[in-house]
Amino acid sequence: MSEHEAIVALIGKSCLTLDDGNFESYLALCAPAYSYCIKVWSPELRKDMVWLEHDRDGMAGVFESLPEHLQRSGRLSRLAAVATIDAVDADKFDVVSKFIVHHTDVEGRTQTLAVGRYNDRVVRIDGAVLLSEREVELETRDLGIGLHLPL
Amino acid sequence: MVARDQSSWEKRPDMTAGYFVSGLVYTDPVIYRDESDKVFSKVWHFACHESEVPEIFDYRVFELDGQSLFAIHGEDGAIRTFLNVCSHRGAKLLDQPSGNAKSITCFYHRWTYNSQGSCTGIPRASGYNDVKRETMGLREVRTERLHGLVFITLDDGALPLAQYIGPALDRFSDMLTSQPLEVFHYNQAILECNWKAWHETNMDLYHEFMHVVLRKTQVNAMPMEDRKLVVFEGGHGGSGGDLKAAYDGYDGFAGRGGDVPPLPGMSATDFRFINLFPSTAIISRGTVVRIDTVTPIGPDKALLKMRGLGVKGESVEHRRIRQKHHNQYWGPFGRNVPEDMVAAESCADSFRNQAGRYQIIARDEKMAGQDDAILRAFYGEWGRRVGRDPGAPVK
Repeated sequence: MSEHEAIVALIGKSCLTLDDGNFESYLALCAPAYSYCIKVWSPELRKDMVWLEHDRDGMAGVFESLPEHLQRSGRLSRLAAVATIDAVDADKFDVVSKFIVHHTDVEGRTQTLAVGRYNDRVVRIDGAVLLSEREVELETRDLGIGLHLPL
Repeated sequence: MVARDQSSWEKRPDMTAGYFVSGLVYTDPVIYRDESDKVFSKVWHFACHESEVPEIFDYRVFELDGQSLFAIHGEDGAIRTFLNVCSHRGAKLLDQPSGNAKSITCFYHRWTYNSQGSCTGIPRASGYNDVKRETMGLREVRTERLHGLVFITLDDGALPLAQYIGPALDRFSDMLTSQPLEVFHYNQAILECNWKAWHETNMDLYHEFMHVVLRKTQVNAMPMEDRKLVVFEGGHGGSGGDLKAAYDGYDGFAGRGGDVPPLPGMSATDFRFINLFPSTAIISRGTVVRIDTVTPIGPDKALLKMRGLGVKGESVEHRRIRQKHHNQYWGPFGRNVPEDMVAAESCADSFRNQAGRYQIIARDEKMAGQDDAILRAFYGEWGRRVGRDPGAPVK
């Protein structure tokens, strides 16, 4: 598999594992120093906002606590299309993907929940490409009842 | 008999008046119009925080009961509010949620207005015989500020704001005014429920049990009997003394992700809230403030607007921690707010077709614990204004 293919597959797997609630596998795609945040531009405040920010342990905590929380029923489906891959150095890449998240409720009705970009920093460690940083640049600002899961 | 038959389910609950609410208050279209005419058009509403229009000519557009308005910071320092409607043909003047405009120009025929609402320009005015620029100003809406909060009323004859609020915000004055605050978080959401169903989640302490995060950090943080609740004339109500939170009880909240100075008059573990009639809640978790306000879109749809406030000018690191404290509970990815929305929409779903008939608000714990007194005060004021008994609103 080429480097490009490996990175595209990494982004795809990050979506699939979250969709499937396979959080252990999601975290296996993340480097030890992984950081995750959701940023949103507010035209109301004319400022950037941070709606969620976690390191790897924080993400693991979010996943562990999920079963105890009251959540939106149904399933999320994340679809990402890698747009650009720029090498920062031999083992570091900046990857921008456009994403769309659909929600399918328990009656089988599907609606678009959110769109935006994943701005990822991907690193190569021991030959494997891993997510080192994910900044979710969210375009959708009305998420209805909101959610406990990262996008 | 354990389960109830049709007549038992549908009949008026056998309890004190005021201790239950008919589901019709959420669904009846006539009641909805009454609320618009007798509540939303008559009372004071939170519009925005003054930090949202810090500079001269800064404006902030917002919705109230289906109407678009904007607040603008004038050259004289006053914040005025106008209907966002051109006097000429009714076009919406400002289509961005915020901005800065020395002159406001209607896109349609280029009529212009200044920050005091005066009409300053009419292209080819000589073509009119009986339209005078001096009489074509914008519709100004009464605006007052209290503790940095901007309130408006659509009723020119309404009581002054101070009289409307009474002492309900007194316990918040230090927190809101001892140092300048600013809004760092804003999100809004359309909810598939009546506006009251959302606001009830702010007034109902008993539903703490729904939230795992509150079961673990709040329910046992202090003896229930030591909690003090308070209600005020006008349907406002909140905490009379501070409730406590024990954040270490929830995995991942130990230390809350960092220390930041608490807001004046509070400790980092205090929890204080006030609900202002009809639809604004101000809540503080020691280090951060949330203000939410809900406005009707229809009997079954509401627009919820949520703000998070921190200290203006604080360091980047302090702001980051304060944001974290906010986001742990609130915002679209918080541990708490999305669950409240599930609850509000779930109840609405039951009342929509009258499967659900009544809400019970009968907890009486002598203004402590999880007393429903705040809900009862709200519905008492609602009934007085709408001219209907919340328990039997339709004859």
